Amino acid sequence: MKKHKIKKRDLAKLLSEWSNEFTILTPSRAEGATKWTKWDGVDTTFLDWYRNTTVPPKALFLPAMEEMFSFHRDKEGYHIEAPLLDTPKQLVFGIRPCDARSLALLDMTFRDAYEDPYYLAKREGAVLVGLACTRPYDSCFCTSLGSSPDDSSHVDLLLTDIGDEFLMEAITDKGNKLLTSTSFTETAGKAAETRAKESKETAYRKVTRKINVEGVKDRLLSCFDNKDYWEKVALKCISCGICTFLCPTCYCFDINDEFIKNHGERFRNWDSCAFPLYTKMPVENPRPEKWQRLRQKVCHKYEFYPMNFDVIGCTGCGRCIRLCPVNWDITLALTNLPAKAECEQEK
Amino acid sequence: MTTADISHHPKFMAKGNVYLPHLAVVERIIDETGDTKTFQLNFKDEKLRNDFTFESGQFGMLSILGIGEAPFCISSSPTRREHLECSIRKVGRLTRALHRLSEGAEIGFRGPYGNSFPLDLLEGKNLIFVGGGIGLAPLRSLIWNAIDNRDRYGNIDIVYGARSPADLCFTYDLEAWDKDKTVNVATTVDAGDDSWTGRVGLVPVVLEEVEPPAKNSVAIVCGPPIMIRFTFPALERLGFTPEQILTTLEKRMKCGIGKCGRCNIGNLYVCRDGPVFSYAQIKDFVSSEY
Repeated sequence: MKKHKIKKRDLAKLLSEWSNEFTILTPSRAEGATKWTKWDGVDTTFLDWYRNTTVPPKALFLPAMEEMFSFHRDKEGYHIEAPLLDTPKQLVFGIRPCDARSLALLDMTFRDAYEDPYYLAKREGAVLVGLACTRPYDSCFCTSLGSSPDDSSHVDLLLTDIGDEFLMEAITDKGNKLLTSTSFTETAGKAAETRAKESKETAYRKVTRKINVEGVKDRLLSCFDNKDYWEKVALKCISCGICTFLCPTCYCFDINDEFIKNHGERFRNWDSCAFPLYTKMPVENPRPEKWQRLRQKVCHKYEFYPMNFDVIGCTGCGRCIRLCPVNWDITLALTNLPAKAECEQEK
Repeated sequence: MTTADISHHPKFMAKGNVYLPHLAVVERIIDETGDTKTFQLNFKDEKLRNDFTFESGQFGMLSILGIGEAPFCISSSPTRREHLECSIRKVGRLTRALHRLSEGAEIGFRGPYGNSFPLDLLEGKNLIFVGGGIGLAPLRSLIWNAIDNRDRYGNIDIVYGARSPADLCFTYDLEAWDKDKTVNVATTVDAGDDSWTGRVGLVPVVLEEVEPPAKNSVAIVCGPPIMIRFTFPALERLGFTPEQILTTLEKRMKCGIGKCGRCNIGNLYVCRDGPVFSYAQIKDFVSSEY
């Protein structure tokens, strides 16, 4: 696999070159919350402010609202217009290692049993160009989950900041191909690699928030019915759902119809286990209480994902901590889990 | 029978975009009770009409385009393929709209989804069906299935109840089963009326009066949660082990295929891992949110 480097001031040229083949998506703060939008062809100043986006990159593959199909009605009945599920060639530039990992976690659900054609069509055409973190947030805890600010496991190409330049390491064939045609990069030497290693080690040390996830699945299992604990944990939660909407691995969605003048659409939109309506049936609701819903959120990631896919469904990106309006903290909820014996007493 | 035996093994899986419904025509609507109707459906597409198969216990996502979509069990038997039937109680926005439909209306159907009653494990066994209210719908698919393959099963007992005589569903089926000498039917109501001459009593109580032998038997239970909660212990008193008790669960669902998230009980999704579960599995559930 190729190892190249590029001068930061040449980055726009490189992105322009890639844009012949791909739609380039970069972090942007054009519309309030920072998120991924189509690159304007010029601006690379996001490098100055970008630490991570508020809206995670899942939105590129599972949009907050997405039309599934449209239909109309005439004398002969209903007619369904099936969507063309094309595979757009998108290059996500600068995705953080934790967020790249989140997509790998989402893939597990969307590929499981029945394939989700909407998500997978977009996913298959995507190339992920990662950017190793140099300034993690206080709320980040990726290193507790087997990852790191420079984790290259789920990107195609990894960039590391080495001062005036980026080291570019191809990880997959897709990433290697990105480095074949370009005239703005050059092969990286020993010096660049040494500087990249220092940069990565410094970043690693900056991730200071730690949790112990050893045996967390079993610890949650034994605490599942400890109502007192979950009530205490959920006390300040206001069920606003922000932690789920902005979580890179939360994928729950609702499906709804609109119908006006014989023409309609069925669309899906993000939903959240924080809301009582999420599970409400006409006669009963299995999770009417706030503490039950918050427990679902924590257990889905740290208990049920490990049971179903043998991996924790959280990346430690810290969004749910830093974006929570009441400073709810999942790491505290996990760290303070009572011991098994204590939970059995509660039963 | 172990928990692994009732796993997900769909035989008919829709190809392509699984979220696209197939259009079906409501050929006939049968009034079951004041708030429940059975809809007989047939696909508009002739190829699908011939190719479509399902198994007893599976469900479909039914929709009125423009109103919405929800899961309903298929209440007809795969042994009777003239049409699909779904029996629907009026409880919410979509079901109210379904009840306003006339014969000839078009609706959307996608599926079948979920696992099914494990016929291979039921073969050679006595079958005891315990149903309450509209809960007879999924059992009915299996009852006709068993009657149409009568020599594969031992005794067939049906204990069915509703709140009042007017709330009894599938009365035409109950009459047919009653006439069938190879089937024992005990129909009961929580409270009778002037014209009611049958049994009065709650389903779990009547079940214990009927006293089906547990040996070489499987009980299949579906009804309102309160009935299920009292039926499981009644069956255990009759000597049934949790492995010998099957039920089918219901949850709010949007996708039907294990993606949208909401129908989980612990790590299991009712749509993907169920809806048919044994009582042994339920006892093992992480969560009591069922």
